[in-house]
Amino acid sequence: MAYSDKVIDHYNNPRNVGSMPKDDPKVGTGMVGAPECGDVMRLQIRVNPETQVIEDAKFKTFGCGSAIASSSLATEWVKGRTVEDALHIKNTDIVRELSLPPVKIHCSVLAEDAIKAAIGDWKRKQGADEAQASAATASAKE
Amino acid sequence: MSVSSVASPACWNCGAPPGGGHFCIGCGKIQPLAAADGYFAFFGLPEKLDLDAADLDRRYLALSWKLHPDNFVRAEEFERNLSLDRSSVLNDAYRVLRDPVSRAEYLLARHGVRKEGQTKQQAPPELLEEVFELNESLEELRAARLSGDAAESAALGKRLEAAGRNFQAKLAEVDAELAAAFREWDAALDRSAGEDERARLMARMNEILNRRSYIRNLVAGVTHELDGAPDA
Ligand code: FES
Repeated sequence: MAYSDKVIDHYNNPRNVGSMPKDDPKVGTGMVGAPECGDVMRLQIRVNPETQVIEDAKFKTFGCGSAIASSSLATEWVKGRTVEDALHIKNTDIVRELSLPPVKIHCSVLAEDAIKAAIGDWKRKQGADEAQASAATASAKE
Repeated sequence: MSVSSVASPACWNCGAPPGGGHFCIGCGKIQPLAAADGYFAFFGLPEKLDLDAADLDRRYLALSWKLHPDNFVRAEEFERNLSLDRSSVLNDAYRVLRDPVSRAEYLLARHGVRKEGQTKQQAPPELLEEVFELNESLEELRAARLSGDAAESAALGKRLEAAGRNFQAKLAEVDAELAAAFREWDAALDRSAGEDERARLMARMNEILNRRSYIRNLVAGVTHELDGAPDA
């Protein structure tokens, strides 16, 4: 199977490979896998609590070229977007951008799931924080 | 379960109902493939999973002999093509059903439980976490080897071997779970269990197969890395 130029580019020069501290309250971590092939992907975002904008994103993927390219692209796409906006990224957008063939669709699904999982994790943390914080601010504010 | 409840079309040669087998029960002529026939039916088997490998082998040999294109060299082109069609399906069917994992995957796909690109079901998070960590160790080991750091390679190799054994044991566990699920499925068919119960059993098998897929990949990765090591 021939990979498209864009896949090869992301594969050879993956953007934003790495990790962020999992316990940082501003960081959301999404860990997902594709049962079809057993590949795994971790995508992390750092969100500005005031603006809800994703300021940084990192990924690490153990998988095929399409999965690496999909997650690399996903980190590029989420950066600078608000959390709500990033939720609108669809695997079909990734398929189109990277010209993935049908057998590689699940690789892009993995990237979409990873974004959702990372945002979900971040929201969970916010929820937990807000519960604590609102009790504190309620008395602190005026 | 019967082979098919849908009446097969009349035999192309004699016009009699051909009986749903490879050959017409009236005139004995080879029949076209019916789209609804699955691999199990092809072998005249119910959709049971705990199947007897020796029995499957026997059926395969008997059929490959009967359907073989060599038997049709003097027949019409139409019949010769039917024999080619059936022979090629026979080989696919045999390959898929012979292996327990591909057999189960086939059954689930046939019932729409397992679709490419649509498996939304995730493995348990702890397993993903473990899979990820082991992949990281594998990567470290490769890097250490590349840089020629013998001490580091040896230490990592030891750790991986232990992890590999752990995952090997997990694979054996999952295979045992799968075998048990097969027997449950077969028992459910035997007592003509309802849709709900079948769906539940299939969902469980799907979940087991998903877990197995991660574990198998890892075992393969670790084995490859340790075997391919000149100095491990
Ligand atoms: S083949 Fe597994 S993610 Fe692409």
